[in-house]
Amino acid sequence: MASGTKSKGANKPKGKSNSANKARRSVVGTARKPKPWGMIIGLIAIVALAAGVFTYAFSQIADKEQWVVSADNQDPSTKISGVVRKDYKAGQHISAEQRVAYDQSPPFGGPHDNAWAECNGTVYPMAVRTENMVHALEHGAVWVAYNPDKIKGKALNTLKSKVENQPYMLMSPYPGLDKPIALSSWGHQLKLTSADDSRIGDFIKSLRENQYQNPEPGGRCDAQGTGFDPTNPPPFVAEKPGPDAVTMDGKGATDGSAEEQGGAVPPATGGATPPATGGATPPATGVATPPPSQ
Amino acid sequence: MTSAESSRGSGRTLVLIAALLAVLLVGAAGGMLITLAKGGTDTAPSVDSVDVGFAQDMRVHHLQAVTMAGIERDRTADPILRGLAFDIESTQLSQSSEMAGWLTVWVQPDLPDAGAGHMKWMSEGGAHSHSDGNGGKTTGTVDRMPGMATTDEINKLRTLTGTELDVLFLQLMLRHHQGGLEMAQYGAAHAGKGYVRNLAQKIVESQEIEASQMRTFLAQRGAKPLPTQ
Repeated sequence: MASGTKSKGANKPKGKSNSANKARRSVVGTARKPKPWGMIIGLIAIVALAAGVFTYAFSQIADKEQWVVSADNQDPSTKISGVVRKDYKAGQHISAEQRVAYDQSPPFGGPHDNAWAECNGTVYPMAVRTENMVHALEHGAVWVAYNPDKIKGKALNTLKSKVENQPYMLMSPYPGLDKPIALSSWGHQLKLTSADDSRIGDFIKSLRENQYQNPEPGGRCDAQGTGFDPTNPPPFVAEKPGPDAVTMDGKGATDGSAEEQGGAVPPATGGATPPATGGATPPATGVATPPPSQ
Repeated sequence: MTSAESSRGSGRTLVLIAALLAVLLVGAAGGMLITLAKGGTDTAPSVDSVDVGFAQDMRVHHLQAVTMAGIERDRTADPILRGLAFDIESTQLSQSSEMAGWLTVWVQPDLPDAGAGHMKWMSEGGAHSHSDGNGGKTTGTVDRMPGMATTDEINKLRTLTGTELDVLFLQLMLRHHQGGLEMAQYGAAHAGKGYVRNLAQKIVESQEIEASQMRTFLAQRGAKPLPTQ
């Protein structure tokens, strides 16, 4: 084994194989024989080259795979500093007339409107009803929300360039946002101050269409036929929802899942009064009228 | 003479170690470059694995849901149900294509053998029984998977309008979701690949929620679910 390795290694460098063979034949004696400098230098060169390739390949693989979602790397966003995580129950739907008393601002999970906001790299110039935006998160989209008083001009264009025409992305102003930028994906949020922060790209790579973190893999981003018009979306409502709002545990949502499976959902933050109508029944006709005017 | 000999000996050892190191490093570096080029290694599941059986049968099951949801989306007058139908149609079509992608990479047919029966993969490795599609239990194959609608039922859906259409759609789709649940649960528990178990589990969770919504929608229309097969 050792001699095989030796002869392979020793024969590799070009040139000096002759003297190497001679050296092997006369193991004892022949003090005149010069040291095989050529072979030594050749070997060192090979080792250095291999080490370089090794380091390069390793760093490339590590860098590439760090953000690749897989069964072994189900949430790469754990490597991003500042990401807030929460578990939300999926699939709790409300009608266009209802509102949800969300626990976060902007929310990144919880009950939402039957119709999802279009999320085909859609850049909304106006603030959009939050209940529709949250449904897009459930389908695997990343929502870039920004404070319109803080993000303008060049910063706004930088954000747009990361969203426009990018499937499973949507962007809208969110008046009153406590930080200039909030990136949201279902159950994940990262608030930032700069549009040039490199964590924006890492967040998108980690969570957009992440089939392990999003509740409905394959959910669609096109909204035609759902009652949501991307050119004239239902408007953002700044006022806090009233006591009849659907709570975070889904009380008042269409599917009545709160009654059946309650307990495994995050606690509601205030406003826990059930809707006046009670029960889990929206109007049977369910016409998609816009939300009540503020 | 002795000192010269020993110095030559240690030089030889050095060369040997260096040679060994070079061979190892070259091998490792080569391996890493191959990994870099290929993008990881992954062995494909075999023809009689849970993974292949689940992907093929769930595709058949999903594609019928796509058909039924498409009919409802085109014909219903109810915007909420149109949205629900569109959601089911596009999500299940997308998931079905994902499973077709797996099967392509695994070098397996993207649909099960026509006429050879379904759900044999659910009896793998023992006497685990499953629904036979007719209200009974079996450990063998079944001709029609639980929840699948007949051609007559689907053709009837194509002729109805208004509340009659909505009720039959909800009944058929609810039964379809309930029927697929057992397959999805088995896939989530027994598939070999993490990504297969994950999709199966997501199907279990999201379809249970949709089923609960459809029960509510049926009740609102004064209708009852169909008996489970």
